[in-house]
Amino acid sequence: MKNAHAILLLVMLANAPLGVSSTQLAASQALSENAVRFDREVAPILATHCLRCHQGTSPKGGLDLSRRATALAGGESGSSITPGNPATSLLLQRVDAGEMPPDKPLSAAARQRLRDWITNGATWGTAPIQPTAARRAGKDWWSLQPLTRPGLPATQHDDWVRNPIDAFILRRLRDAQLTPTPSISPLLLMRRLSFDLLGLPPTPEQVLDFASHPADDLENRLERTLDRLLSSRHFGERWARHWLDIVRFGESQGFERDKLRPHSYHYRDWVVEAMNQDMPYNLFARLQIAGDVLAPNDPQAVIATGFLVAGAYDEVGQAQQSQAMRAVVRQDELEDVVGTLGQTFLGLTVQCARCHDHKFDPIGQQEYYRLTAAMAGVRHGVRHVISPAAKQRQHDLNQELTHLRRQLQSLEKTAQNRLLTAHTGLPENRPVRVQPVTRWDFDENQNDRFGKAHAIQHPAARRDDGALILDRDTGYAATHPIEFTLQAKTLEAWVRLANLEQRGGSALTVQYLDGQKFDAIVFGEQQPRHWMAGSEGYLRSRPFSASAETTTNAPVHVAITYQTDGTVTAYRNGKPYGRAYRTSKPLVFPAGKWMVLFGLRHGAPEAEKQMQGLLDCAQIYNRALTPAEVETSYLLETHRISRERAVAALSPVQQNQYASLRATIQLREKSLKEVKAFPVYAVAPRPAEVTHVLARGNPTSPGKVVSAGGVAAVPGPSADFGLAPQASDSARRNALAQWVTDNRNPLFSRVIVNRLWHYHFGTGLVSTPNDFGYNGGRPSHPELLDWLASELVTSNWSLKHVHRLIVTSATYRQDSLARPECLRRDADNRLLWRRSPQRLEAEALRDTLLCAAGQLNRQLGGPPYQDFTTFVSNSQFYRMTDPVGAPFNRRTIYRTWLRSGRNAFLDAFDCPDPATTAPRRAVTTTPTQSLALLNNSFVLRMAQRMVERITREAGPRPREQAAWAILLAYSRTATEEDLTVAAQFIREHGLAAYCRVLFNTNEFLYID
Amino acid sequence: MPDKSFDRRDVLSFASRGIGALALTDLLLRDSHAAQRKTTTTAQVSWPHFPPRVRRVIQVVLCGGLSQVDSFDYKPLLQRYHGTPLVSQRRPDVFFGQVGLLRKNDWLFRRRGQSGLWISDLFPHLAQVADELTVINSMYAETSNHTPATFQQNTGFRLNGFPTCGAWLSYGMGNETDELPSYVVIPDPRGVPAGGSINWSNGFLSARHQGVVLRATGQPLDELFPAKPIPSGTELASRRLLAGLNQRHLQRRGTSDALLARMRSYELAAKMQVAVPTVADLERETALTHRQYGLAGKTTSDFGRACLLARRLVERGVRFVQLFSGGAFVSPRINWDGHEDMIRNHGREAARIDRPLAALLRDLRQRGLLDDTLVLFTSEFGRTPFAQSGASTLGTGRDHNQNGFSVWLAGAGLRGGMTYGSTDDVGWQSVDQRVHWHDFHATVLHLLGIDHRRLTFYHNGIQRRLTNVHGNVIKDILS
Repeated sequence: MKNAHAILLLVMLANAPLGVSSTQLAASQALSENAVRFDREVAPILATHCLRCHQGTSPKGGLDLSRRATALAGGESGSSITPGNPATSLLLQRVDAGEMPPDKPLSAAARQRLRDWITNGATWGTAPIQPTAARRAGKDWWSLQPLTRPGLPATQHDDWVRNPIDAFILRRLRDAQLTPTPSISPLLLMRRLSFDLLGLPPTPEQVLDFASHPADDLENRLERTLDRLLSSRHFGERWARHWLDIVRFGESQGFERDKLRPHSYHYRDWVVEAMNQDMPYNLFARLQIAGDVLAPNDPQAVIATGFLVAGAYDEVGQAQQSQAMRAVVRQDELEDVVGTLGQTFLGLTVQCARCHDHKFDPIGQQEYYRLTAAMAGVRHGVRHVISPAAKQRQHDLNQELTHLRRQLQSLEKTAQNRLLTAHTGLPENRPVRVQPVTRWDFDENQNDRFGKAHAIQHPAARRDDGALILDRDTGYAATHPIEFTLQAKTLEAWVRLANLEQRGGSALTVQYLDGQKFDAIVFGEQQPRHWMAGSEGYLRSRPFSASAETTTNAPVHVAITYQTDGTVTAYRNGKPYGRAYRTSKPLVFPAGKWMVLFGLRHGAPEAEKQMQGLLDCAQIYNRALTPAEVETSYLLETHRISRERAVAALSPVQQNQYASLRATIQLREKSLKEVKAFPVYAVAPRPAEVTHVLARGNPTSPGKVVSAGGVAAVPGPSADFGLAPQASDSARRNALAQWVTDNRNPLFSRVIVNRLWHYHFGTGLVSTPNDFGYNGGRPSHPELLDWLASELVTSNWSLKHVHRLIVTSATYRQDSLARPECLRRDADNRLLWRRSPQRLEAEALRDTLLCAAGQLNRQLGGPPYQDFTTFVSNSQFYRMTDPVGAPFNRRTIYRTWLRSGRNAFLDAFDCPDPATTAPRRAVTTTPTQSLALLNNSFVLRMAQRMVERITREAGPRPREQAAWAILLAYSRTATEEDLTVAAQFIREHGLAAYCRVLFNTNEFLYID
Repeated sequence: MPDKSFDRRDVLSFASRGIGALALTDLLLRDSHAAQRKTTTTAQVSWPHFPPRVRRVIQVVLCGGLSQVDSFDYKPLLQRYHGTPLVSQRRPDVFFGQVGLLRKNDWLFRRRGQSGLWISDLFPHLAQVADELTVINSMYAETSNHTPATFQQNTGFRLNGFPTCGAWLSYGMGNETDELPSYVVIPDPRGVPAGGSINWSNGFLSARHQGVVLRATGQPLDELFPAKPIPSGTELASRRLLAGLNQRHLQRRGTSDALLARMRSYELAAKMQVAVPTVADLERETALTHRQYGLAGKTTSDFGRACLLARRLVERGVRFVQLFSGGAFVSPRINWDGHEDMIRNHGREAARIDRPLAALLRDLRQRGLLDDTLVLFTSEFGRTPFAQSGASTLGTGRDHNQNGFSVWLAGAGLRGGMTYGSTDDVGWQSVDQRVHWHDFHATVLHLLGIDHRRLTFYHNGIQRRLTNVHGNVIKDILS
């Protein structure tokens, strides 16, 4: 046997070209299958019956059965397990003899499982073994078992059964000696479906249509209604709101500053659209985890990652001085992200393993940090996205603009050179004028002609006669910080020197805001009467070795170019000034960090740093000009050949051409602005750092390095992503998305079908939708849960398919009537002997009030409405308001979901705190809730609007008004008793008071 | 009459607000039977776990960070080291990164009362009731960032999304009254704290345990009365019609706790409409009381009204009243965040609350309420004993200090006039008998008859507690 293995291995190695052969893979897979089988079948036996005595520091008889090595080694009585040979294994002998366990012998089945395990080589799984025990779950926990498609129970042939769901439900009802409740009336069923799928009541026309026809064509009409509801755009709004609860979607930062996140609504719209389009659920999840990685050019995929950053963000904490405390804030943030991911998609509370191994579920602390490593690049931020089509358009426009500008330049060049030649007699082959990035000519003011870098004079400096006067040593001018980056450049100035003895003044300086680093056109600093490229500590300064200035008060043109390679060249009156030299690369002046000075060399004003004279003009270019370009600039300025003058010299035909080119360019520039990228609040990843396990969750105690990975207890895809600790953020999140959404991951499908069930029935098959672990609920119908999950997987993850199955079941169609005999047996209706009545959620309530009043603005998507005013005073504050008008009468999902500015009316009806995930909403009944519904200004206004609508649609007579009001509020026709009571009340107290009462009734607030 | 506080005057004031007095009388009388049914469902936990010392709590929250070395933590050595650099093996890791020279207390400390408790002249009135106070000088927090620190002070956690102590008590103990909310918040009229309602959030508990904001000035509660006036006859008929329609619906659909509870909630709402304006009507108090609480004083009236309202609320069975002194971080400052100038900042803030707070303690004592009411005086953290200025300068402000600070408790039969725990020589780091918020919360719950390990709520995989998985009751301050 052993030899056969060895030979096989040799053959394999000989045949394997490189890497791992397929046989080897198969062998290791078999090994891991045995390990998994151990965890599921053998470990629970050992844990339940043996480990109480046989583990720990001093196990009974010296035998520790919690790990393979100690189990094989045996105890005081010698070796306990011989792999492959049950007969000689002491453990099995004692068990078979009924000696162990001492209290109660093992069942025959358990003994057989032990025997098979030893026969097959006694492969071990997790060490120490972690099976479900009295106080915690192991790898054999129900939710961690692979998904199987259960067969249908015999009840499938019962008359009541409409689809397989009912067969599973009916079997359990029968076991409990309960019977299902008959179907609800068609009208109430329609109301139920409408609220359930759209969160809105049916229209009065739909109600009347249903009510006026006998039940013969009922199934067909229900079918059509269902099709209509499932394809309604309001479906997405309804089901997106549920999803936003789970992902704790908020539109402000939370914590101290709680700033608005104006670009976060794109994620909400994306969820609505995904629900409406029935995006396959695995894709839906994958995009939310790694959309920006999977489809970086698709704006919608980037928007989907809003999931990762939907939670609160501690801006002050992330910016505080203390690095140690910043690290804690970052770990808290990651816990929130990792925890939300685990709960949302897997129903696992992985965040509980941040400080220690999970106390209740088989999730090690190391696995928490593997998941954290997978998310380590996740950061909050605003990203600018653009669709590929828009990007192409942008590209085309840019190309066209380049072409148009070239034509324009060519025309300009012709005209400019013609004039220059006329003035100077020089040949016409001069380069065209290069547009500087800034220009101050001091002619009419001291503003920058092209940008916003306006000069500001400091006392004693003043402007007169087209020049900046620098006649005393306190006078200079400066700009505000400049908002573009400058590196290679040309500085150019026209000056008239007041005297030749002055030393160290500058005509034009660019400097860091603190004046510590600068480049400048300096006069006489190192060498009297000579120009120099000034810089801090002369770092980029060398003598140009040119001639000295000899006259005062004559205009001098000086330009210095700084090339990318470090070459510095000076020019005087358009001609090279001495010799160029080479220094280190030109200094970078980052946007917002630098400014321009006129007359002052750098830093604070001092006599020896200031120029005395007149500054006629100064220009800065964002590249080093060529000698010919410098000369052109000098000549054009000297002869005052402006662009306007040049163009005027063109022929009429050319002038027309010029004008039309200018106009076209302007149009194209406008178009370019319109196709620009738009901002979205999404993941803005940064390079993911190496992740350490942190002792007790504390960033100051880093331990072992881990790479991105999943939770090993989840069956199916490997929890080892095969990534290095240094792997990129994209590789990590990509692997994570694949692992989470793998078809073989049973949690992924079970959790979502349970959520759908939860929202359709008020309670999930598992009552804790975010927690399928030990502390969570157990499934009331485990086989039904698996059947639904497998339906989801085989329908290519179509959620609408599952919705349809559920709402067409007989289970769903049951009436909500309270049956005392069933209530006694199963008060919580976990066995589904009826469909429990559901109270309208806060949003559905507000939407329904708007609907009844005929005020609902059905606009889909876009920026949210704001039911508050804001003021910023260091922190952001929100004052809640009740704004009136159509823009605010949109569905409540379009509210701006602030974390600190909560809406008291919605809160009264259990709207959850968006700071934390809300897998199921509380349904409470309080006096403040009643007060809100009686007295709230919005409610009273809706009652008034409903009056106007009813008067318009039903006329002035109380009986007809009442009938219409009941139809609008309850989606049913009125009874004679209704009408008698209502008509009298309306006559005495008015229709508005009646509508207000209707809004407060249980029949309005509860959906049967 | 089912409601003692219901008298003719209430009826008239209601009528003047547009609500039919008759309507309420009618409802209250007719439903007196129903009123005896208990429908307010609270925690599944059985309270109390052991005999409680107190049944209710008033918490005074100082926003921004009270300087311990200027108030309750007397450090003679700090005076000696005044103007010298801090000597420590540990480098201070302060919020704004500036560690100036040590700065002595700006207010003189004296021994007070019979106990001789050290209290500075910052709180001259409180000093007169020194024997009521149990001062903890060895508090420490996990962060020196205001908002997470404030969250932790109130919820035990640094993050958004957890229930505050008041919400936990509302959940765990229920309410002693049907007519008033169990957890009431009275913000500083100058502004709410940063994070607004997050500071009195229900977190993952159901929304009904959220703190209800009552104002000590103006309309006390939103939506207590119709936003637009409704004639009393119409109001009465509306309530009757509503009750009738609900009754018929119930008959059609079968008995249901949920539907019954909703019907009952309208009866409770009617009672709240009487009780809330009554409790908020401070004019019912005597002129002497007004004087004692400083209601007429310009600086003291805001907090005086808040304190008086707090007393009236606990008197009527409200479980937890939270008073805020100071709001968010705005300019000019309206809280205790004395970064720039301690004398001006703390001087101004203390003058607002000192007299009313002393009056509250005296009043509670005199009415016998202090025996079963716990008063808490807390701040999210303290301030540094060194100035917030350049390394060799002596600035006039102090930065945040999470390493050591002071809080006090009063009432509940605690050992008054004592201090517990201590900070180092200069009052920077707590060194002896250190107290974390978890310990503080565990102690508060203990006084209320609650084992902090047993007040739990299942949320997302964890049986959550106010004290997370920590907390030790501070036995030494219990008498």
